[in-house]
Amino acid sequence: MSLNIELTKRTAKWINKSNRSVYYLLGIMVIAGIVMSFLDPNFLTVRNIFNVLNQQSTLGIVTMGVTMALIAGCIDLTVGNLLATVAGIAAIALSRWGLSDGWAILLACSAGLLTGVFNGILVVKTKIDTFIATLGLLTIYQGLALIVSKGNNIYLQGKFGWFGTYRVAGIIPLPVIYFMVITIIAYIVTRYTKFGRKLYAIGGNPEAAFLAGINLDLHKISAYAISGLLAGFTSLIVISRIGQSQPAMGVSYPLEAIAASVIGGVSLSGGRGTIPGVFLGVILLGLIRNSLNILRVPSFYQYVMLGSIIIIAVTLSNLGAARKAGNPN
Amino acid sequence: MERKVLLEVKGCSKSFPGVKAFNKVDFDLYEGEIHCIVGENGAGKSTFIKMLSGALRPDEGTIIIGGQQYSYLTPALAHQLGITTIYQEISLAPELTVAENIFMGMEPVNRFGFIDFPKLDRESKKLLENLKIDLGVEALVGSLNIPQKQSIQIAKAMAREAKIFILDEPTASYSSNEIGNLLALVKEVAAKGVGVIYISHHLEEVFSIHDRITILRDGNKVASHQKNGVTLEKIISEMVGRDLSMFYTRELVDINYTKAVEFKDISGGDIKDVSFKIHQGEIVGLAGMVGSGRTDLVRLIFGADQKSSGTVFVEGHEIQVTNPSLAIKAGLSLLTEDRQKTGVILEHNVKWNISIVHMANTSGHFINERKEREDVNHYVKAIDIKTPTIYQEVRHLSGGNQQKVVLAKWLYADANVIIFDEPTRGIDIGSKEEIYKLMVQLARQGKYILMVSSDMPELIAMCDRVIVMRQGRIVGEIGRGQLSEENVLTYSIGGIL
Repeated sequence: MSLNIELTKRTAKWINKSNRSVYYLLGIMVIAGIVMSFLDPNFLTVRNIFNVLNQQSTLGIVTMGVTMALIAGCIDLTVGNLLATVAGIAAIALSRWGLSDGWAILLACSAGLLTGVFNGILVVKTKIDTFIATLGLLTIYQGLALIVSKGNNIYLQGKFGWFGTYRVAGIIPLPVIYFMVITIIAYIVTRYTKFGRKLYAIGGNPEAAFLAGINLDLHKISAYAISGLLAGFTSLIVISRIGQSQPAMGVSYPLEAIAASVIGGVSLSGGRGTIPGVFLGVILLGLIRNSLNILRVPSFYQYVMLGSIIIIAVTLSNLGAARKAGNPN
Repeated sequence: MERKVLLEVKGCSKSFPGVKAFNKVDFDLYEGEIHCIVGENGAGKSTFIKMLSGALRPDEGTIIIGGQQYSYLTPALAHQLGITTIYQEISLAPELTVAENIFMGMEPVNRFGFIDFPKLDRESKKLLENLKIDLGVEALVGSLNIPQKQSIQIAKAMAREAKIFILDEPTASYSSNEIGNLLALVKEVAAKGVGVIYISHHLEEVFSIHDRITILRDGNKVASHQKNGVTLEKIISEMVGRDLSMFYTRELVDINYTKAVEFKDISGGDIKDVSFKIHQGEIVGLAGMVGSGRTDLVRLIFGADQKSSGTVFVEGHEIQVTNPSLAIKAGLSLLTEDRQKTGVILEHNVKWNISIVHMANTSGHFINERKEREDVNHYVKAIDIKTPTIYQEVRHLSGGNQQKVVLAKWLYADANVIIFDEPTRGIDIGSKEEIYKLMVQLARQGKYILMVSSDMPELIAMCDRVIVMRQGRIVGEIGRGQLSEENVLTYSIGGIL
């Protein structure tokens, strides 16, 4: 019995450390990188690295928003279908209304932002558990995405391709730049601004945050707004890349984004996690997928392996959370 | 007539880390007897109930029920032995009728195995009439008020032929009329042979129904008195009477009576028309029994709950306090009772915890990390918070140091009015004294200090003045000269000095 407790304590301590530190993730990636480069010399080429970053850029941007909400203790499951809805609107604006690229970008971002604000207000005012509330909203956006597009793919007819595929200096894809810039902004917001610190406080202990004079509702709504904005922005990259909007696109984003956050050390119960950790979480997911591709693991099996990795990461996070709920002494 | 002993407790003790909550107590209960237990907050009443209902195991001693000896009870065993604890709300199903609740789990069935509703209603009606409870058996329990629900619980226990009833503060939030009804019901039940353990802060209730009164103090049984064998004054003197060595001696500070923080006609929730002042440099105590509304009052003052009316003046200026943020801007602060749940963020480090209020209530969008680090380090040193670094997570600190972190965050936020709610609960004696010293130091600096406390020695040692609350109102005020446990207690239980 006591041995058992001792083991649990040790594991908890280890998890706690690994959660808080991005170094563990870095270590894993370096080792994986070395192993992979032995297995396949193509792995460690500049081209492949940019490929991975490019592939992960859309998930990465969405994840930054989802992470903000998670830090405040709010789960946002809407991002995938929200993205599809905005994608539909943007595609219609570009192809049928003939909106210029600039206006379409503004439209998509505003639509994402407003939807995010709406999500936030709904969650805050109804006081429903955020998982359930955004699960409901997710289904609504699933419907909206179909309604907007009348259930069809909407083709951009060659327009807007540059936004998601242009490579700066012929090598750095634009989406990678978006991803980097947004990650840096997210880092600054969470690390150096009062807004970010308040999100941590709200997620860490809402009652204590309230008694410290923090406006809980306003900050939660803002977190959802950011999440919505980034999902809206991401929809532009996606439609630009594939030249069309599809009403069912992006459905895997919410769970993958949460998984990447959690792998990066964000606590599902809020108040914990850093942007560098989340960034590495996103990249790690990409590297795993990329490695499995290079190793020619059939894609059906890839899902199984990726899922297992996500479960392991979330399980570790839950153990940490269970410890948090328990007696701190 | 020789009466049957239902319950006998011999030499029962229970310790919690740092406290002997229950110390070698003997207790017995006869058939048909109403045995009242009185004592201050923390005297050991709840511990005793928990041992009888099987929620706690005694460290030593025996419990004898029906001739059988037990070293401890479990909830199932307590139930089986006929011990029932009557609570205010729980254990009834709101969506079922009175009759269905009374016979829940033992409903009469007809020959097809279905519930025999006519019989159920008949039996329930008989039972209620027998107990003189005036309620329809088909009413939904959810539509009843608390006193009615409580009487249904008593009827339910009677239907199960429970032998021992425990009522813990049953009349909190009752009107005087409803109290009368409940006391009549309790007498009715006792007349049918049930033994009743009745626990209450309200000595007048206790006096009107008791067959015997037992007084507990700091986990010890002080005395037992038969009916008519004792006066109210005697009981109060037995409830108090602590050793003087338990009292801390503080330095007195000159109070500036020209400046004050004033609360006028504060109402909201259970709080009714509370008015009082704190002068500059004064430590004002807020005493009262658990449930007298002290915590509710300080939450109203701080804007954490909404007042229905009332005004707050800080040094002559009226301020609007409708949320904590406004209170903080006016210089108010609140160190909550449950510091782990509402005071600190356990998973965050000392730095974040100390800077939170300052950070959240000053202008600007960016955090100056260097300044923050210096300021936090300053407070850590100034009030001697024992932590290896300011990056230590607060959950690793001791209770006393966690409390100091909470204090530091309010000092950093420039709080002028400092409201402590149970400042030393769960803190070891050494840290307690440090907190007391800090309080005096703050008073000397010209802060306004309000302290809610259930710890009598603490109130008496620390306060320049004590305000006593009862049922959401202020019922008395005692200056330092007249401050004694007896005086505070007399007001707390509804007496007059």
